[in-house]
Amino acid sequence: MDTIDANASDVDAADVNTSRRRFLTGATSVIGAVGVVGAAIPFVASWKPSAKAKAAGAPVKVNVGKLEAGARLVVEWRGKPVYIVRRTAETLAAVDALGDETLKDMTSIDAAQPSYIKGSARALAGKEDVLVLVGLCTHLGCAPIYRPDVGAADLGGDSWMGGFFCPCHGSKFDLSGRVYVNVPAPTNLEIPPHSYESDSIIVIGVDAEV
Amino acid sequence: MEKQQGFGAWIDARLPTLKREWNRHMAEYYAPKNFNWWYYFGVLSMVVLVIQLVTGIWLLMSYQGSAEQAFASVEYIMRDVELGWIIRYAHSTGASAFFIVVYMHMFRGLVYGSYKAPRELVWVFGMTIYVALMAEAFLGYVLPWGQMSYWGAQVIISLFGAIPVVGEDIVQWIRGDYLISGITLNRFMSLHVVAMPIILIALVVMHIIALHDVGSNNPDGVSIKKYKDAKGNPIDGIPFYPYFVIHDLVPITVFLFAFCSVLFFMPEMGGYFLEHANFEIANSLKTPEHIAPVWYFTPYYSMLRAVPDKLGGFMAMAAAIAILFVLPWLDRSPVRSMRYKGNISRVMIILFAANFIILGYLGVKAPTAARTVLAQICTIFYFSYFIGIYFWTRYERTRPEPDRITMDGGIGTFKTLCGFALIGILVVIPLKVVGAEGKSCGTIDCDDFDADLGNNASLQKGAQIAVNYCMGCHSFQYSRWERVADDIAIPHGLMMDNMVFTGQKIGDLMTIGMTEEKSKAWFGAVPPDLTLVARSRSPEWLYTYLRNFYADDSRPLGVNNRVYKDVGMPHALLDLQGLTECAPGPMMADNGGIKRDLKSGDDILGDPCGRFAQVTDGALTASEFDAAVFDLVNFLTYIAEPMAQQRKHIGRLVLMFLALLLVFVVLLNREYWKGIH
Ligand code: FES
Repeated sequence: MDTIDANASDVDAADVNTSRRRFLTGATSVIGAVGVVGAAIPFVASWKPSAKAKAAGAPVKVNVGKLEAGARLVVEWRGKPVYIVRRTAETLAAVDALGDETLKDMTSIDAAQPSYIKGSARALAGKEDVLVLVGLCTHLGCAPIYRPDVGAADLGGDSWMGGFFCPCHGSKFDLSGRVYVNVPAPTNLEIPPHSYESDSIIVIGVDAEV
Repeated sequence: MEKQQGFGAWIDARLPTLKREWNRHMAEYYAPKNFNWWYYFGVLSMVVLVIQLVTGIWLLMSYQGSAEQAFASVEYIMRDVELGWIIRYAHSTGASAFFIVVYMHMFRGLVYGSYKAPRELVWVFGMTIYVALMAEAFLGYVLPWGQMSYWGAQVIISLFGAIPVVGEDIVQWIRGDYLISGITLNRFMSLHVVAMPIILIALVVMHIIALHDVGSNNPDGVSIKKYKDAKGNPIDGIPFYPYFVIHDLVPITVFLFAFCSVLFFMPEMGGYFLEHANFEIANSLKTPEHIAPVWYFTPYYSMLRAVPDKLGGFMAMAAAIAILFVLPWLDRSPVRSMRYKGNISRVMIILFAANFIILGYLGVKAPTAARTVLAQICTIFYFSYFIGIYFWTRYERTRPEPDRITMDGGIGTFKTLCGFALIGILVVIPLKVVGAEGKSCGTIDCDDFDADLGNNASLQKGAQIAVNYCMGCHSFQYSRWERVADDIAIPHGLMMDNMVFTGQKIGDLMTIGMTEEKSKAWFGAVPPDLTLVARSRSPEWLYTYLRNFYADDSRPLGVNNRVYKDVGMPHALLDLQGLTECAPGPMMADNGGIKRDLKSGDDILGDPCGRFAQVTDGALTASEFDAAVFDLVNFLTYIAEPMAQQRKHIGRLVLMFLALLLVFVVLLNREYWKGIH
């Protein structure tokens, strides 16, 4: 700026109060910057999910009263498939018996799941028989196939305890959605936030109060 | 050479153009230091250009350019996109603001002779920008796909039909269809969003380069290049950066203050920035009762209407714009600035400004015989001005130009204000002569209505009536149940149980089950969607309309309406109000009062339908019914612009902030300019 002042023919250099100038320039710049940030707010906010997207992504209610043991239901929530499976007591026992020679993350430490989902059943307390999963493989996002058939020859015969098999790159998951060792998928299948509105109505998208 | 360091030097060694151009256009561009406030409008138009580009880019992220979706997607931006309404209002306000600053900028050019040699090209580029801007604005106005978008496009495109022989083919080619349709909309969107902005920016660059090559004019119209200091810089000039950059921060802040005042407190600007009819979706079978282009086109529109011939009108309009291009060669005066031109020039420029505003005003209004005559006189004057200028500038006595620029501020604030007042008077008087307006609500005057948007109890009652009585036939398909529930404090559970239709979710749009075919069969027309009815009509209109149904056996539905004669809608609130019929009532006198018998002082009951008499009773008394209609219209007002309360709230914060910024900007400007005399 100094060079410019020297050029300005009519400006008396002695007249210039540098510190005052610097202060006012700084202060104006700071306020101006606040203004720019403020003006950016609508532009940033407008990229958030709109009311339309939120309505489409609203919680989904599912009646599982008629879901039989071993059966699976697929519902759509926020455009993703959500699998709901009713497990028998035997299945739960078999799932619990699996150890870390078979499973990558037996205790679901790295898994994406709400804090109220606990144990090997990966279900809400008191509702262990019902498994709710996001049906998207944690590898590259294919939808795993539900394979409850214990001992299926193509899935390793006797060692297959039933679960989910991803056709894309062969990842395997048990009936709690926990990932097997030696497959490409890195983590257990995701469990969406969900809660029970009544004994048989699940609300997917609303956290359970615990 | 001064020693340069660091990043700057590194860049300069590799990209010297950057510094060279910075110096050429900013740091070493010497502008006359006697610039006055008229010179702010150039930079302000740049500010608006930036606003339009940024908001436009963002609007396009949510806008859908199809005939089916365009209108709904604008309302989607206004309601569903978070703060999307700010972006949309900024763009719509920006469109009008653009023309305001550009008209001021052009008028400045007229007053100070900025078009005269050697700045002819600056003027020609500027005029081209103006024409491109009109095209851009016109194309953009079609995109919301409201009634005005549609019929405005219809009228403007049809103008080309006036061209002999090939006219109709051109019109069809522009539309790409046998009527204005989604196909037309698509190509207009492409032009508005891609082609025209590129052209506009290129023209702006040329305008500025042409200006900086010859140097800016100034209020005295004398060159500052005559006297230079030892370094070869004009002694009456001062570098654009930092002096004018800082100087311009003040008007920019003031402008933003005005801009935001409109954006947040009166985005429709009384129907001039956003026209009421454009809140109704385009309908190719029904022209709005009163159609006028947006205000910035109306001077030319008046000229079009003033000429009683299709081709002639078109030519007058085109010529009115074209003649501005050749102004530099029409003005033969030896001096540039109005400060030194003769008296004829001074009188004429005032008359010209008033004339232009009158034309603009007439273009907004429906034509009457008297108005058409006035428009014709003004059109003739408009052209006479440009032809006359060729003669009077040659012969009139000019005042001697000073050798150097003066710093005394010309005619000063007081005389400037007098000038504006004079123009104002010259505008108002002829318009008074041709005045006369119709009634505001059909055959009667509208009743007063003051919305009470903070009153949730009233809004809730209104919502209930709307759902129970209106939504049998009308939808509110741009609004969502959930938004209404949240805004007017209805718990979701209650809303689901009492209002939301079976099968709908709370997040859904408020549509109705009745199909268009069915409603057409029942009523002969599809009952319009009501989401925006309080904006396309007005709350006052609705409040009056809903309370003015009366028995009329000659109508198929047994009722008629004093506001909307021969309306096709049944009296939906009949069981609330009961049936009323016409009874003789007082008449309005010409002076606006009630006609009274001079002797007795009694009202003259000359209007056969001046009052209503109750035929059958409804569930509510007359005053309860009025209150119910108030609640309903209050709700309709709310739902037409659900963010109205939030808008004003944010607006107050924004204006407070700008006021603070203004203080600092003014201080900074003073600090930099205190040594400049
Ligand atoms: S996506 Fe499932 S294994 Fe690769």
